[in-house]
Amino acid sequence: MKRLFSLLLMMLLVITMTACTTQPIAKQEPTPAQDSQTDAGTGTGQQTTGLPMLSPDNPVTISVWITTNFSAPAADNKLTKLLKDKLGVTLSYEIITPDNADQKIGVMLAGGEYPDLLGTTDLNIRFITGGALIPLDDYLTEDKADLLFEHVRPYWNRLATDAGDGVRRIYILPNYNRYYGEITGGTHYGASGFWIQKHVLEDAGYPDLDNMTLERYFQLIEDYMKKYPTIDGQPTIGFEILNCPGREWGLTNPPQYLAGAPNNGGVIVDENNVASIFADKDIAKRYYKFLNQMNARGLIDRESFTQTLDQYLAKLATGRVLGMYDQRWGFGNAHDSLVSQGRDERTWVSTMPVYEGKEPYYADRDVMNINQGFGVSVSCKQPDIAISFLNTMLSEEWQKILSWGIEGEDYHVDANGRFYRTPEQREQQKDLVWKSRNKLEALLDQLPKHQGTFSDGNAYSPGDQPEEFFETLREYDKNFLKAYGKKTWRDFLNQPPENPIYYPCWNIHLPDGSEAQMANQQLTDLSLQYLPRAILADPSEFDAIWEEYVNAIKKINIKAYEDAINAGIQERIANWGGGR
Amino acid sequence: MTTKPLAHQKKRKSVWDTIVAQRELIIMSVPILLYKILFSYVPIIGWTMAFQNYKPAVRSIWEQEWVGFDNFVKLFTGINGERFLRDVRNTLGQSFLTLLLGYIGSISLALLMNEVKNNKFKRIVQNITYMPHFLSWIIVAGLVSTMLAVPTSGGIINDVLIRLGLIKEPIMFLSYPKYFWWIVAFSHLWKEMGWNTIIYLAAMTAIDPTLYEASVIDGANRYQKMWHITLPGIKPTIIVLLIMNVGHLLEAGFEIQYFLGNGLVVERSEIIDIFVLRYGIQMGNYSLATVAGIFKTVISIILISVSNFISGRLGEEKLI
Amino acid sequence: MRSVKKKKIDMENIIFTTLNTGYLLFLCIVMLYPMLNTLAVSFNDAMDTVRGGIYLWPRKFSLYNYYVVLNMDTIYKAFYISVTKTIVIVVTNLFFTSMLAYTLSRKEYVFRKFITTVFVITMYFNAGLIPNYMLIKSLGMINTFRVYWIPHIVSAFNLIVIRTYIKSIPESLIESARIDGAKEFRIYWQIVMPLIIPTLATIALFVAVGSWNSWFDTFLYNSGKQELSTLQYELQKLLASTMNAGNRTPGGGAYSAAQAGASNVSTPQSIRAAITIVTAVPILMVYPFLQRYFIHGLAIGSVKE
Repeated sequence: MKRLFSLLLMMLLVITMTACTTQPIAKQEPTPAQDSQTDAGTGTGQQTTGLPMLSPDNPVTISVWITTNFSAPAADNKLTKLLKDKLGVTLSYEIITPDNADQKIGVMLAGGEYPDLLGTTDLNIRFITGGALIPLDDYLTEDKADLLFEHVRPYWNRLATDAGDGVRRIYILPNYNRYYGEITGGTHYGASGFWIQKHVLEDAGYPDLDNMTLERYFQLIEDYMKKYPTIDGQPTIGFEILNCPGREWGLTNPPQYLAGAPNNGGVIVDENNVASIFADKDIAKRYYKFLNQMNARGLIDRESFTQTLDQYLAKLATGRVLGMYDQRWGFGNAHDSLVSQGRDERTWVSTMPVYEGKEPYYADRDVMNINQGFGVSVSCKQPDIAISFLNTMLSEEWQKILSWGIEGEDYHVDANGRFYRTPEQREQQKDLVWKSRNKLEALLDQLPKHQGTFSDGNAYSPGDQPEEFFETLREYDKNFLKAYGKKTWRDFLNQPPENPIYYPCWNIHLPDGSEAQMANQQLTDLSLQYLPRAILADPSEFDAIWEEYVNAIKKINIKAYEDAINAGIQERIANWGGGR
Repeated sequence: MTTKPLAHQKKRKSVWDTIVAQRELIIMSVPILLYKILFSYVPIIGWTMAFQNYKPAVRSIWEQEWVGFDNFVKLFTGINGERFLRDVRNTLGQSFLTLLLGYIGSISLALLMNEVKNNKFKRIVQNITYMPHFLSWIIVAGLVSTMLAVPTSGGIINDVLIRLGLIKEPIMFLSYPKYFWWIVAFSHLWKEMGWNTIIYLAAMTAIDPTLYEASVIDGANRYQKMWHITLPGIKPTIIVLLIMNVGHLLEAGFEIQYFLGNGLVVERSEIIDIFVLRYGIQMGNYSLATVAGIFKTVISIILISVSNFISGRLGEEKLI
Repeated sequence: MRSVKKKKIDMENIIFTTLNTGYLLFLCIVMLYPMLNTLAVSFNDAMDTVRGGIYLWPRKFSLYNYYVVLNMDTIYKAFYISVTKTIVIVVTNLFFTSMLAYTLSRKEYVFRKFITTVFVITMYFNAGLIPNYMLIKSLGMINTFRVYWIPHIVSAFNLIVIRTYIKSIPESLIESARIDGAKEFRIYWQIVMPLIIPTLATIALFVAVGSWNSWFDTFLYNSGKQELSTLQYELQKLLASTMNAGNRTPGGGAYSAAQAGASNVSTPQSIRAAITIVTAVPILMVYPFLQRYFIHGLAIGSVKE
């Protein structure tokens, strides 16, 4: 009996010992190997073993490379200090503006040395195929980067990319549109529409906006123009066509929406999941012919094709433009200028004209950006620390700090636990200088985000917090919404159905230097060359110019482009199902 | 009979002798030469990219995929070829016009400024005319665009023309290809005219004042002084600059065409550099960009060799 | 007879002077206007500027644009770096270029044609972005101050300009110095240099402006080291940061929509104007200082042949 007992004890001992040694130990850093809990209450995401813990006792510096328009934080930024005090982390930033990112990435790849974390917009794919990033699969487990794992888990198959060796791995942590909690959909609407000035609708007695057609849209504009040939002493402009460099889609996108298709870039995908370009098809011809006729009636701004972006926005800000096709994020400055002038009635609301028999599909479910976000470079000497840092930043505690700020300073909590801001706090959010001292915008731009709602019900983004929206709603807008019986701007758009699995096609990567990539650019260039001519021409000449255009398109290797897109669609259908 | 070998010997000795005699000049110049070779010529090995399908990630130059003249074919033939040829034509047209207007403008301005007796006024004029040089092109493009717009958008030119009764409807200058080259040339003129006079004015200070004094005694008037003294005095500068600029004929600027170009005028507005940007750099296609670069270099060298030669033949200053 | 002729000349002079002055004044207005316009825009409230219609005077005065620019604490160190870099480049450039130009102006110099050709050709080719980068990298100059001036010690254009000017110095001066037994370097340093001050001032100005305005080298080689950043580069980045409201890529979603309302108190256009003024002012202050070397250029003393 005794022997059995001691044998059992021995076995127990042996088992526990082996169990202990097989547990992954925290590497490199001279931290006391804490596979233990941190303060349970903070929920900093460091309760797991496997990743080194960040603490002020072990200061680390992480170099961060970001392509963004946001600038680096000021030296006395309070959040920078917080990162140092609480986590011992100091970040050294290298910020590159998007305009020049191509060249910088080229030389970086040629040189082969990189900062620790690389975060860029769609050009990340160059880093992946260029062998600059390490695969993150091993870290994305429950016992290592638990929060990051949860972040990517349902979308694993979408995010996994083949870097060239045939195996699909995850290299980048997506930074936008991974939603938690209820998909609030938000109160704002940020994307495409045929915008129309609110005063036009008010003046016409708030006509029903359902079943909108091009004819009705332009009729509203024409009637208003006849009634008010000038606004504030300057001639009224009926419709602006956006097409400056970088925004060519203002000219080329509408036909697909009019045909009831969502935004797939330059193609429309049919029910058999086959994509084809629409630029030379009838749905496009119909739209541009219509514009041509509108131009003949004097409703189009002739300067649309020769002005710069600044001038376009300036025109919008004068309040005399009645309509345009644009995306909401594109004319923010003009909108804000009008609001600051107190002329809310001159701002716009979105409508969705479609051809007869089609259903509007302007609003889509927000697509996760698979090609943007942080990756860890092969030059990083302490990848564990870097990942631990990213993981920590995804904790609700830090997400609230990064998005809302410091409680009591940047926002308040009311009796029901709801976050809100005072008017002064809202004003602060506009001041560039204040922001550089109190927010980490550049970093947050690339970090994975807990979008949607937090576990306590507050929205991740202050802009989406319903209370904030309704508090900041201006008088005119309140009445406008009431007249239409809608609560938010989102309500003016269609309810988006579930996105097809391959959606959207505009971010299917066309390999650098490929025929497909070239064909895509050539197609855009041709549309810029012929369409303005076609629209501004005398109506009798339209057909002839259109013929020229279509013939020119035939000379391009469109097949290469369509093949590449179709290949991308098939690949997505095959691989994107489900998560892990 | 004995003279021949002697002459031979003399010649050989002479070269070495010269080098020894001129050793100071050599010390003052050869190191700089080597420096330049290092920084400008050594990287030329990168031109091999033109014959490869260059991928930056494949670090070594020798491990790239060789495609021979593929890239050249891609660039110079087919629809790309037509387009490239068109761009070359636009580039040459724009820079030629810019050169012409620029020369007339700057030289005449320099001569006129030289005639100003009041030094204070002279300095003020100088200071003001070189200011546009400091405005970035994007601002200049915005200003030009505004000036050429319709009167309600701030288009001064149309406004003035209508008021003077010369036209009835505003002209949309930026939508007609035929105006574009002039717009480019005048923009450059406006921006650089004053700045370019600096070199000429500096050169004028080198002219011997006694020449002027002597001419007054001979009864020369203002124009004769200009024609016979000032202009010849700065002629070497003019010629040398001219030869150098001819070599740059394939550089027509970049920003103005980039910011003001649009689909309606693209037939006349697109230049080589914009094409290279769109189809080369932005697509990560460095090989294509390199091919275009080689093309430009070859043409430029031919151009300056020819103009240098002609200048020498005409008895003028030579660049080399 | 004489008085009639004199009157004729006086008349001509008056006409000429009037026309000349008129033309110059016209030019001044045409050139000055955009600068004044930029100045006005920089002092105007950004939201108001978006409406257009600002010409010579701010409509809604505001110091906010300058507040943003001058509050970027990084620009002060960057300013210092830019100034230092400019001074170093100007000094080294002037010295080496003029020395080389002197040697190339000597007709008897055996390597004259060869060296001139080698330099002139460099004006017409560019090895390309990546090859140049690799060279700099292999020389260990990435993220250093050296990379700002070492690659720019001699530029072919400046070389030619100075050489041309040196050629206008009478040979006799140099000959007599030689006869006195002076060595080449002494001739260069003590005789030629003082005589070419106007062109040196010109080149100094060109080089200074070029260096002051450059940001691409900072971007390409030194973007990893904040302490080495230059003024123009910092301002470029600042400019980009004001484009947020308008420039989110598709898929930004609700987050960007909320932010779109945020950065609106200044716009790219207005910040650009403030940046232009801030960068142009130092140069505009330097030029008048150099100007006296042009207008009152040292005459090359008369030499009785």
